Amino acid sequence: MIKYTFNQISLKQYILIIYKTQVGIGVLSLPRDLAQTGGTDGWISLLLGWIVSILLSLVIIKIMEKNPEKTLFELLSKYFGKWVGKGLYVLWILYAVFAASVVMFSTIHIIQIWILPEMSNFILMILFIIPIYIVTKHGIRVIGLFAEFVFLISMWMPILLLFALKDTHWPFLLPIGKEGLFPILSTVKSTILSFLGFELAFILYPFLKDKKTATKGIIIANSLSLIIFLMVTIISFVRFSPDEIKDYTYPTLNLLKLIKLPFLERLEIIFLSFYLLMLFMTIVPYLYAAVLGASQLCGKQDHRPILRIWMCLWFLSSFFFLPSATQINQMGKSWGMAGTYFAYVIPMLLWLYGQLFHHARKEQRQ
Amino acid sequence: MGTIRRWLNGIRSAPIKDLSDELNQPISRTLNNNLITLNSIFSHAPDLVIRHFQLRTGDNAVLVYLEGLIDKSAINNNILKPLMYEINSVNDFWDSSTTIAKTEVVTLWSHIEKAIFQGQSILFIDGQDRSLVLCTQGWPQRAIKEPQIESTLKGSHQGFVETSGQNIALIRRYLPNRELKIKEFNVGSRGNTRVSIMYLDDVINPDFVKEMEDRLLQINVDAILNTGELAEFIEDHPISLFPQLIMTERPDSAAAHILQGRIVVVVDHSPSVIVAPVTFSAFFQSVDDYSNRWIIATFLRLLRYLALITTISLSAVYIAIVSFHYEVLPLDLLVSIGESREKVPFPPIVEAFLMEIALEMLREAGLRLPGPIGQTIGVVGGIVIGQAAVQAGIVSNIMVIIVAITAISSFIIPDYDMSSSLRLLRFPMMLLAAVFGMVGIVIGLMIIGAHMISMESFGISYGSPVAPIRLSDWKDVWVRLPMWKMKKRPLSTDPTQLKRQGANREGEDQV
Repeated sequence: MIKYTFNQISLKQYILIIYKTQVGIGVLSLPRDLAQTGGTDGWISLLLGWIVSILLSLVIIKIMEKNPEKTLFELLSKYFGKWVGKGLYVLWILYAVFAASVVMFSTIHIIQIWILPEMSNFILMILFIIPIYIVTKHGIRVIGLFAEFVFLISMWMPILLLFALKDTHWPFLLPIGKEGLFPILSTVKSTILSFLGFELAFILYPFLKDKKTATKGIIIANSLSLIIFLMVTIISFVRFSPDEIKDYTYPTLNLLKLIKLPFLERLEIIFLSFYLLMLFMTIVPYLYAAVLGASQLCGKQDHRPILRIWMCLWFLSSFFFLPSATQINQMGKSWGMAGTYFAYVIPMLLWLYGQLFHHARKEQRQ
Repeated sequence: MGTIRRWLNGIRSAPIKDLSDELNQPISRTLNNNLITLNSIFSHAPDLVIRHFQLRTGDNAVLVYLEGLIDKSAINNNILKPLMYEINSVNDFWDSSTTIAKTEVVTLWSHIEKAIFQGQSILFIDGQDRSLVLCTQGWPQRAIKEPQIESTLKGSHQGFVETSGQNIALIRRYLPNRELKIKEFNVGSRGNTRVSIMYLDDVINPDFVKEMEDRLLQINVDAILNTGELAEFIEDHPISLFPQLIMTERPDSAAAHILQGRIVVVVDHSPSVIVAPVTFSAFFQSVDDYSNRWIIATFLRLLRYLALITTISLSAVYIAIVSFHYEVLPLDLLVSIGESREKVPFPPIVEAFLMEIALEMLREAGLRLPGPIGQTIGVVGGIVIGQAAVQAGIVSNIMVIIVAITAISSFIIPDYDMSSSLRLLRFPMMLLAAVFGMVGIVIGLMIIGAHMISMESFGISYGSPVAPIRLSDWKDVWVRLPMWKMKKRPLSTDPTQLKRQGANREGEDQV
């Protein structure tokens, strides 16, 4: 109503949205992905991946800083003209939709395998759509608030992981760098999927209240994610042997299976249920980015009609699209591929293009 | 649907009988004309007293009032006596002849009508084209007693009564400050209820006052009978389950809210006042927190938040574990639950619903019955539910324990509205748990959470200070730090004046 400007998010919310988007489906399989190519040196690749993603985040912020009041849509049309800009923007929207859908279907798949084996796809879809819709329909303000809410509610989850530090075998990590430099470098590619999420800065930046803090915020967000990733990876590396870990699809969950509290066992059931919050916090920002983009493309203010249409599509697709484990894996991989282009390659190109563009503009004016 | 029904039935709304012609007239010079008009306005009002008498100077005069709304001794001793025996001339009588504290000269019939309904008495004198309104209100009133719903151990034992003037006075006693502003409104075309808003002018965010005024002025109803009705007209999200306005019956907590930068709405005829804007966490603070030692108060606060979680989800978790995830329990515990459930023929959801509904009925029955019978109900219910139902194999022992714990935890929550809402939320949660297990519970919590944080109360986020995270407000939300540590008013009310105290302990830095 009065005081609250609707379409603004604070620095805290900006950090938490990006951080919560990054910590999502990737963490569950991260230790295995790293172990497959990099062995127990995978955590070094994580550090490298972190550096790369921070650099790319800074590039994104640089691009947006040049045109502080413009959304990505306006920016693309300014750089490439109306039609090419629109085309590029459609690609971006498709990417965001794809990301949201991958996480959504993976979530359903994981929940089916680990907790509710007899539940059919479409019922779970209905169940999941309700909270996602409630959060997304109010727009960026509530998404920011929800990120804070999820952050507070899920604070106990990393702490719970520390209980797994019984019967560990630290020498698994030694000697550091035993695989050589090349495997470590090639493993960086596997970390991409986990760090994906910072590219949402493209969408979030225009909403940020204090734009000067954008750089600081994105570094904090990436670092928070790194802390979680490192923790999960190292704990699984010292808990499972290097060969064992490759057999598990979701080593993080297997890790929880081992924890026994005096009054609770099989913690992964409770943990995974609450992990839904985090997974949804990955789905919601991507979904919002896509829906917002689509409504901008149509020149509409209200993003809700398109959101409703998309919810119906998801619901309908859950009837005939029943992905198997390999398909889910495949989808995750292609998301990683698409992410490489949309979060790493395109920002670089866009930045270079922007440099040239502004340079040319300046010369023209002179 | 509504249109069709209106077309079928014809519109059945008639306005209040229009007397505006008469009411806008000034009073007449002759007493008889005035009495005729009076009779046409107040036809069929046997409680209207028209007392004819003669002033000492010989002029005819009439005193008019509604019997029962006035103070008889004031009429006898302070009006009739001086007028009949003491005055010397008619002219000096307008200001000095009666010993009534508040008088007012009026000429319009509309003022006279309003004054009579408010319990004032009107004096007409033959040959005068003005009349005198005398403040003689004295209707039946309840004594100031200890609040019923919000009882405290150490707080004050004064509760609001049904007269708004008294209630305002009770609050003002706590805040004898020139910045305490009071604005009056009349709400309801028939009831004409006096609604006053109170706030500290230099503390409150002026936007709230404006918004509150707008909302009060927009109300267009017959009558407002109590605070709850008014609250439904001014709250932000009328279809939400959560209460969005605190209704307190304690002057001290009303004063505390005013000091934090909130508005208090006092409604005549109602022994509770509305506080706005509020956040979710404000419902978990009680006056007693500030009279206990701070560590104990903190413990109680945390207990309440624990009660919040148990009330909503404990029976749901039981259902989820027993019907879906029995493997999360250690074997010994599982065996004892299994033994207890051995004789029970129903699935856990039926068992839980039976017990929870029985408990709700018991609670409501105990509340509605007069005191002595209410206690009997408690005993009967306790025996039936506690012993007989278990022995008959209808419910399990564990279920009885679970229901008892959820009941107790719902009663710990200090605000009645909030605890009822949370108690109701238990049922959808149980259904979700019965169908989806833990996943359902988490989704349920997520929906509740998402709904809660998306709400606003007068432009303030309802979820504050949890979402948005405002760490400086946490001093008085999860914990209650020592009073001298809380140097600022809560940010969640967005006050214009943030500082509320200076350095109070030696060696403290000046803020």
